Amino acid sequence: MDVEAALEKFHSLKVSQIMPKPDTMPIVTADSDLLNVLKLLRTRHHVWVVKDRGSMELVGVIRYMDVIDILLPPESHRFKLGMTSRSMRSLLSGAARAEDVADRHPLTIEEDATVLDALNKMRRYKAQVLAVVEGERLVGEISLRILIDEFLRLLRVGGAQWKG
Amino acid sequence: MEGVAWLLATIGIALILAKISDSIIERFELPGVLGELIMGMILGNLVYFGYVAPDYLPIVSGMGYESVLNQIAEFLAKLGIIFLLFLGALDTDIEQLKKTGVTATVSTILGVSVPLLLGWWALMAMGYPSREAFAGGVLLTATSIGLTVRVMMDLGVLRSEVGAASLSASVMDDFLGIALVIFAVGTGGLFELSIKIVAFFIITGVLGWYFIDHYIRFAERLHVEKGILGMAIGMMFLFAALAEGWFVAAIEGAFMMGLILSKLPEGKRIMEDVRAIGYGLLIPFFFVHTGAMLNLKVFENADAITLAAVLSVIAIVGKIVGRGFGAWITAWGRGRDFLFTRKNFWMSLQMGIGSVPRTEVALVDLMVAIHGGAIPPGDAPKFIAATLIFITVSVLITPPLLKWAFKEEIEKAKAEKAAQKVGRIQETKEKIKELKGSE
Repeated sequence: MDVEAALEKFHSLKVSQIMPKPDTMPIVTADSDLLNVLKLLRTRHHVWVVKDRGSMELVGVIRYMDVIDILLPPESHRFKLGMTSRSMRSLLSGAARAEDVADRHPLTIEEDATVLDALNKMRRYKAQVLAVVEGERLVGEISLRILIDEFLRLLRVGGAQWKG
Repeated sequence: MEGVAWLLATIGIALILAKISDSIIERFELPGVLGELIMGMILGNLVYFGYVAPDYLPIVSGMGYESVLNQIAEFLAKLGIIFLLFLGALDTDIEQLKKTGVTATVSTILGVSVPLLLGWWALMAMGYPSREAFAGGVLLTATSIGLTVRVMMDLGVLRSEVGAASLSASVMDDFLGIALVIFAVGTGGLFELSIKIVAFFIITGVLGWYFIDHYIRFAERLHVEKGILGMAIGMMFLFAALAEGWFVAAIEGAFMMGLILSKLPEGKRIMEDVRAIGYGLLIPFFFVHTGAMLNLKVFENADAITLAAVLSVIAIVGKIVGRGFGAWITAWGRGRDFLFTRKNFWMSLQMGIGSVPRTEVALVDLMVAIHGGAIPPGDAPKFIAATLIFITVSVLITPPLLKWAFKEEIEKAKAEKAAQKVGRIQETKEKIKELKGSE
């Protein structure tokens, strides 16, 4: 498959076709210890926070870059109107659980959206990962890593002269 | 240089000095806004005392300084207020606020009502007209959450019961402080004003709340550079225009749009851009401009000092008593048995003291009240001076008061740390003994 055909097929893929199952995703419950979240973030770029494993209701997301706000000392935070939510993530503010530091407004996408929809959303909001949801339930995720893997897989399956 | 060049130079100087003074004041663990106000005061008084001609430093406005350049500076400062409130609302977590408990709610209501009514009554007693006295009361209602958060964080009590309730109550204080100013500047009878308020909330709140999703989806489909940001700010200005037209308070529209957008992840994503525009240009300029409005000649007579003293006392006592009593009567949801306990008293006192500092919203309310005519031009210098003084007093007095109120908790935490240290030393000694024994 040449690059053009691969891209065309890639763009029309449904998110549900390539998203991983929740049991392979970095997920913690809202009451998880913040130190466990940090341990996960040593090897992952984000961690999803759900209310509980049964309902999988999405509470928020903790991204790699959020660790900066978590680890910074109080004097590095600016306590101004419109800036307090960031400083509240600091470990020194007493944040101890996953829900204390999670961004409660993660970007989401529906299962039946296409890869092109996901890419557009990622570009528009400079996001590297989107939560795939069914109502309020987290059912999967789409990240740049998954998209790259899938695109390369398509090229290889088609036998293209892909040069890494 | 021509006029525009002097205005550009003034904006440049104001921004550079604002950021430097912000940084210096923050090093003393005080709100950076104080530095920006002081810088503005210095610049403004260079003009008032005749050291610099007003055309060369068009930072002040009103009070006889009515050139086009002065008006542009004033307009930029107004944009700063609008962006400050828009950003403040965008940063709000409505879902968290919905979980606010009874203690925070009751203490907010009393914490706002007591200083408002005391201020209103005191200014009336001093001979100010009712509308102006009410505006003076409104200035005392909002709490600056930033300083309280910082001090509580330093003391390690932010996530305590008192800390959590203080945070919720302070956010609600701001809501009320911003809403109440409508009654100070709104024109027409109470009935007409009430109808306008209901209509405003239906148009902006209800419709906005339900249609914002579609509006953002539409903005997404435009596929233009910063399309969502531009469309969001555009709608914010329309809301602000409606509020300015109806209540002479554009901030209400900006705040409402921020709240509506804050419910969407897409809305939260524009926050960084709004922050860049706000804190990179307009908001520091607003604070410098506000500082510049303080003409030190106002202290030539005792009126401003008397007003400052009255407002400072009410700002401190009114909040401690109002919010503290509000927390006390709820007994923190622990029933009647807890009501007359020592712990209830101290927790409520801590809650009251945490609400003392005022900064941004008091300044916003002040400027809205002046521009809206609730505070007449003749009295504006006095109110500016008094507000800057009570803000300074409130932010200086809060940290030591909070440390005193939390002294038991701090000592307990120190004792726990010391015990842990002793435990660790003991453990190490035992390990060394074991090692020596095994050798």
